[in-house]
Amino acid sequence: MRIRPEFTLHDLLYNAVARDPQKTAVVDGDDVQYTYEDLERQSGSLGAALSEAGVGKGDRVGVYVEKSWEAIVAMLAASRIGAAYVNVNPLFKAPQVEYLAGDCDIRVMIGDTPKLEELKPETLQTAFYRGVQPEGQAARSYTDVAEAMKGGGLKEDRNVSESDLGTILYTSGSTGMPKGVATSQRNVVVGAQIVSTYLKNTSEDRILSALPLNFDAGMSQFTTSLRVGATLYLLRSRLPGDLLKALRRHEITGVTGVPPLWALLIRGARSLRENPLTHLRYLANTGGRIPQANLDELRNLLEPAGTKIYLMYGLTEAFRSTYLAPEEIHRSSPEQGNCIGKAIPNTEIMVITKEGQEAAPGEPGELVHRGPTVAMGYWGNEEATKRAYRPNPLAPPELLDVERVVYSGDTVKRDEEGYLYFLGREDAMIKNQGYRLSPEEVENLLLGSGLVHEACAFGVENPAVGQDVIAVISLRNGSEEGAVDRVREYVIENGPPYMVPKEILVRDDLPKTGSGKIDRKGISSAYSNG
Amino acid sequence: MVSNNGDARAAIRGWLQENVTGGRDVPNDEPLIDNGVMTSLQTVELVVFLEDTFGIVVEDEEFDEENFGSVDAIATLVESKAA
Repeated sequence: MRIRPEFTLHDLLYNAVARDPQKTAVVDGDDVQYTYEDLERQSGSLGAALSEAGVGKGDRVGVYVEKSWEAIVAMLAASRIGAAYVNVNPLFKAPQVEYLAGDCDIRVMIGDTPKLEELKPETLQTAFYRGVQPEGQAARSYTDVAEAMKGGGLKEDRNVSESDLGTILYTSGSTGMPKGVATSQRNVVVGAQIVSTYLKNTSEDRILSALPLNFDAGMSQFTTSLRVGATLYLLRSRLPGDLLKALRRHEITGVTGVPPLWALLIRGARSLRENPLTHLRYLANTGGRIPQANLDELRNLLEPAGTKIYLMYGLTEAFRSTYLAPEEIHRSSPEQGNCIGKAIPNTEIMVITKEGQEAAPGEPGELVHRGPTVAMGYWGNEEATKRAYRPNPLAPPELLDVERVVYSGDTVKRDEEGYLYFLGREDAMIKNQGYRLSPEEVENLLLGSGLVHEACAFGVENPAVGQDVIAVISLRNGSEEGAVDRVREYVIENGPPYMVPKEILVRDDLPKTGSGKIDRKGISSAYSNG
Repeated sequence: MVSNNGDARAAIRGWLQENVTGGRDVPNDEPLIDNGVMTSLQTVELVVFLEDTFGIVVEDEEFDEENFGSVDAIATLVESKAA
């Protein structure tokens, strides 16, 4: 058995195959199982077909399919030919996908047929479709992905280094459209090493993939499972019945999710009490704080059966940053605040004041992340990259500017024992159902309806979802009958569900600041004060 | 049962129109989950509505995509409980 050093995503694959080729790698749906050998063979075939279709080293391959075996194979196929995979949120509608395909110049998009058919003609050069041959001209040429996964394999993988671009993770920026976080092979691999270390994953684990793969924390279940040679169970549904059934049926040992998922799990309290989840070794939360009442309930329901609860914090720009270990979970409480724990292994978290100094214990400052998961920057966006990725403020001057750290935009403080507490964010980002969402994106979507003159979107605290999206608009043609319904309908058809405002309020005119901009802060506090 | 049939479908469609789709009427067979029409949290609100309106209890294990995939599927579940 030859175990390789871990440099690239596909090194993790070869090690899993070397350890046990017949081990089940992925279970898609209730009973369809694939081994690590299947994963090696089919990713080789798909890699060869992508090469044939003109995907060169460093090119981007989009993956716009529902979470599935094909999505997993696609990531490894891209990695083996030195291309970067770009997982596209399956909830995205055509305008978001068209934007993304142009932004990072997708060379081949692997997509579900109905989704591809929604796209404008010539959005793509080449599409690999899952399903029947698509109608229409979204791509200039089409290939059946099922055929591509059966074809002759790669003679050999391309020469890929840990410094190569591995993937681009799209995330909402505080201004404008989503930004692509360029993430290296090294970032991906080290992220898998770090997470599997603190979650103590082994090949015995049966890991549930409940989050979308386009989300850094969702990709992490795949990469950690691959690294330790565990089995990954793909769950598409987010309804509590399906979640409960998956946890029981597959005797899941580890699940990672966002706070709304736990709210749904708690709905099954009676069933959890009668029939505890004795196989569940850990539950890990990310993407925002669990409301205290839900956290208490989760602990009551799960801890007696032996489940450990990890509270994690991370930002896409550096994959993962901190976690609060299960034995310290009492530190996150209404009295002590939102404790996010300590740095993940192999990482340093600094708290930096406005003056650029390390904050004293108890003193608020910005969370700054230093370590090997610091990504390469925002794809094609130098200005934003320079703002978030800066030289290490605490490095000795002799090191010059060689090391870059990530400025998170989150305000935190550190206590005497070194535990970090989340205090808030400076910008207006909205956190809805685990998604980070920029108000401008919502506003642009509203304006896109053609019915809206001015729009202002903001978040309002709602523990069940994080924040509700609220929009205040003025209409182009005054208060037209049924206009708000038509705006809402447009938004639903052209944006993912988490971008749809819970309430759309109409005003004749939106208040402006001194500089003539729409006064988002003023409008938002007026709303909150009724 | 025929009238009950119609009632369940109409009530569910009315609720969706009011709470989810911004006024658009949803065909009985349109996929609600696959197409991202409803979020999981809206589904929770729908269950509360169904339990109140029809005096039924939706068991945890029944609260899944099979039973909530379309207006038809939800109505079938409601009818099987109300019968």
